[in-house]
Amino acid sequence: MAPQEQGGNEMPARDVISGLSRFEFWLYSSWFKFLIQYRKTLLGPVWLLVGPALFILVLGLLFSQVNAVDADLFIPHLTIGLITWTLISGFVTNSTTVFQRSRPQILQGTMRLSDIVMVDIISTVLQFLHQVVIVFAVFLIYSRSVSLYSFVSLLGLALLIANGIWLTVFFGIIGARFRDLAEIVGAIMRIAFLATPIIWLPGETSHGLLMSAFLTFNPFYHFLELVRAPLLNAAIAPLSWMVVLTLTVIGFALAIVFYQRFFRQVPLWV
Amino acid sequence: MGVTRDREVTSHQMPKPLIEARNIKLRVPVFQPDERQILSNPKRFFLDLYFSRSRRGTITILDDISVTLMPGERLGVIGANGAGKSTLLRVLAGIYVPTEGELTVNGNAKGLFDISLGMNQEATGLENIYMRGLQMGMNLSEIRERVPGIVAFAELGDSLEKPFNTYSTGMRLRLAVSVSTMIEPDILLLDEWIGAGDVHFRQKLKERMDRLVEKSRGLVLATHNAALMRSLCTHGLLLGEGKILYYGALEDTLAFYGEINST
Repeated sequence: MAPQEQGGNEMPARDVISGLSRFEFWLYSSWFKFLIQYRKTLLGPVWLLVGPALFILVLGLLFSQVNAVDADLFIPHLTIGLITWTLISGFVTNSTTVFQRSRPQILQGTMRLSDIVMVDIISTVLQFLHQVVIVFAVFLIYSRSVSLYSFVSLLGLALLIANGIWLTVFFGIIGARFRDLAEIVGAIMRIAFLATPIIWLPGETSHGLLMSAFLTFNPFYHFLELVRAPLLNAAIAPLSWMVVLTLTVIGFALAIVFYQRFFRQVPLWV
Repeated sequence: MGVTRDREVTSHQMPKPLIEARNIKLRVPVFQPDERQILSNPKRFFLDLYFSRSRRGTITILDDISVTLMPGERLGVIGANGAGKSTLLRVLAGIYVPTEGELTVNGNAKGLFDISLGMNQEATGLENIYMRGLQMGMNLSEIRERVPGIVAFAELGDSLEKPFNTYSTGMRLRLAVSVSTMIEPDILLLDEWIGAGDVHFRQKLKERMDRLVEKSRGLVLATHNAALMRSLCTHGLLLGEGKILYYGALEDTLAFYGEINST
């Protein structure tokens, strides 16, 4: 039936007439999309700082009392945890609706599915990069020192973003077909925020059985550890590396299989 | 499911058809709500909204479509609403992949499917020009070079820096056409909303299309406006419920279309 099928060619190709790289295109598009959101507000992207800053101020002071820990221990923990969590949950929640939200671009044929995924990822990362200002501020206020080891955090961040990519492809395809996914994921992410040590400290010594099960089987915890522990000069458990690296490999394999199998159907589903 | 897209148009050989479609069929998934009696009484109205479920089924939108478009040809696809015209354009653009049949497209096929699709309503005209340019793979300086031409064609004047959603229908139409032809595609696919413009717009559209086709490029226009089709096209394809009713020279197709409508 199909004697001349040439696999690789997928969505309508943008004819590349210049040296504009795909990455530049993704970057400009997401930046543009990101800034347009705030067009009609007075403060613009500054709003990204207001929410988390209030949260950290109120919760930080309150919970350092409730949990009976030093504020200069708890607040940096809370700050990095909250900002990183915003990135994680941004990836996860956005992923389920990524293709529906770009229905016009898909049906107009101006963007490939892979472009849409990358623009969404970069938008979420841009939001995160704005909020990192808060982490710097907290580190200055509590005059925390940063060592060479702290830069391992950037490696953790890179792994986190990479996992956002496969997750967006994978959940994006499933979410386009089954709209229920967005609801399920929304419900899970609210609980996961409380179940992950962000507004509480896991404690440094031996955990109870229930607590260690909670932490071991919570993939978000391991991602968070990779980013947060180096900044707080704490050691990263080998288990966290194992979980994250395994998820990265399995996830990309899954996403590639799903993409090849289903990208043709996505325009019909959205 | 054979889809071949060859982006290099080899001009020195025998002219290759721009589009060659053989026995294309497209089946799409649809939601079919269970039987409801929303209209029967107010109680049923809320019960049905809460509890009635939708089943998934598939319908055939295009059935056994075979079309050939040679360089310089302008094909008008005509038919009633829901005949599958827009869907056929999206198949030719590579957005929908046919369920069965073979489609070969030589060159790039670019479409204008909806006046607002792909335009950001909150962004200004200028910003939209940049966005679309980037999507087409141009860099910033290449886009900047093209802005004056686009603004002139679209007759935007001072509105260039105003949000897209403040534009009149005419401005939107002209902007969409001039932006989409920023890079002249080998095959331009136009959907029926293009008929929404006034006489002035149609004149500009015709000039633009003539210029495109001069460079031995092709056009596929979906419409139910016989006058528009007569002014732009050389060939006709009459669709009815996803099937070809007539395919041939422009006047023959229009005559056949007229016959169907009069009976």
